[in-house]
Amino acid sequence: MAKVYKDLREFLTTLEEQGQLVRIKDEVNPEPDIGAAGRAASSMPNGPAVLFENIKGYKGSVVTNVHGSWQNHALMMGMDKDTPTKEQFEELNARWDKYPVPPNVVSREEAPCKENVITEDINLFEVLPLYRINEQDGGFFISKASVISGDPEALDDFGRQNVGTYRIQVKDKDRIGIQALPMHDIAVQLAKAERKNEPLPVAIALGNSPLVTFMASTPVGYSQNEYEFVGALQDGVATDIVPADTAPHLLVPAGAEVVLEGYIIPRVRVCEGPFGEFPGSYSGSRLQCEIQITRITHRTDPIFENLYLGMPWTEIDYLMALNTSVPLYKQLKEGFPEVKAVNAMYTHGIGTIVSIKPRYGGHAKGAAMRLLSTPHGMPYAKIVIMVDDFVDPFNLEQVMWALTTRVLPHKDVTMIENAAGMPLDPSSYPAGMTTKLIIDATTPVAPEPNPRPVELLKDPVGTAKYTEIIKGLIQAAEEE
Amino acid sequence: MKCPRCDSEQTRTMVKSPVGDVWEVYVCEVCWYSWRSTETPVVLEKFKLTPEKITELGVIPPIPPLD
Ligand SMILES: [Zn+2]
Repeated sequence: MAKVYKDLREFLTTLEEQGQLVRIKDEVNPEPDIGAAGRAASSMPNGPAVLFENIKGYKGSVVTNVHGSWQNHALMMGMDKDTPTKEQFEELNARWDKYPVPPNVVSREEAPCKENVITEDINLFEVLPLYRINEQDGGFFISKASVISGDPEALDDFGRQNVGTYRIQVKDKDRIGIQALPMHDIAVQLAKAERKNEPLPVAIALGNSPLVTFMASTPVGYSQNEYEFVGALQDGVATDIVPADTAPHLLVPAGAEVVLEGYIIPRVRVCEGPFGEFPGSYSGSRLQCEIQITRITHRTDPIFENLYLGMPWTEIDYLMALNTSVPLYKQLKEGFPEVKAVNAMYTHGIGTIVSIKPRYGGHAKGAAMRLLSTPHGMPYAKIVIMVDDFVDPFNLEQVMWALTTRVLPHKDVTMIENAAGMPLDPSSYPAGMTTKLIIDATTPVAPEPNPRPVELLKDPVGTAKYTEIIKGLIQAAEEE
Repeated sequence: MKCPRCDSEQTRTMVKSPVGDVWEVYVCEVCWYSWRSTETPVVLEKFKLTPEKITELGVIPPIPPLD
């Protein structure tokens, strides 16, 4: 059984034991120090989480880059920290099939997130050491929150309850802006409430166990519940949740550091942004929704967990890497069992590489077109590279080999114009419209002609043995 | 006090530092830009706003018709 963390604190303890968390005890300024440390840590190989214990003018602590390296990602899964990316992908795939694992609803008394309650003179700055992440951001952003909302037409339908990550700008002591893009689940729920001019209750959980945060940023179907996936990814161990106080139909992670409760103000849009976004550029100001906070519950001495995002790669790229790849793989696999792996790690799947063993000419291209019409692939996937089953799509040297030796551009490159795109992709024009590109880098299969078939090189017999011999010699030399 | 982004004078103190009296956060009630007294905000020309520009900004998500 893999190691499972009940809350953020347990995970931080493990990260520290494994040398994957550092503490900064000296007093720092909120700007630019916390953002800068998040940038620095996520640029490092084996980048650690960074915990700030003393922030000028604030009570609490901030932790950043918790998910920001493959080592931290592996530890989140309860695996050895040096597990290669493809093995982590395969383990996630296997655990995904345990869905659904119903969560465990605990009583209010058992839920650490209810230790303290604030209902009057709400001031977010008293609870959270808020800071500007990037210089041109229009304010202080909460970049790693799990937002819980329900379907106003089916409040008791647990499956249609949504847990998602949306960018949040602090607008006032007790009011925040939220970005609900039309393609996001919360926008569907909001539209139903706004048609009736009713507020949409929401709960915002900050500082969660690592797989809750991971699932909140995973694209799953509208009627699939994220908590049931958390249990699956925790290798079958149910996650603990508890009803929100102001909207008991909303269930929040019991171990959250902080829970903000409130509602989206109906039919109001207010200036929000700019915000440095995951494609590595700022997205400008827009008129967006606002949430009135009416209640805060929090653990004693809460830790504010937030992430840095900027020029890729940063923490958000690690957080959205395999949880974008696995659902796309599952959706593709249903119609194309020949698919071996999906790497959708580039800018949230805007660039995606698929390995497949094509059965007939045009088969790989057909699978690419399926990818482009999956719920996530439709807006996000723009550049799709299809490679043979023996190519590891997580190994970019191998992918480049396939591109350079398997692609005859006039027949293997296809463009589909006037297609759905991701508005935050600055090349989409108008925002949200794009051209899709499919590159079929698989070896031709009949009836497609393959006029120059080749014999692939194989590793000489004894390669594995010599790998061990050479490793041993290096180790011996180091020990001398 | 002028907003560094839209030059409006409709600004106020949003909050004072919870510990000590070491900073304040200000907010503009026209464009909702906010900044800390310890910062020296330089808003790039492309991100500057005016009341006219604000009314022309994209609406996300669109507001649906009432039932
Ligand atoms: Zn302003």
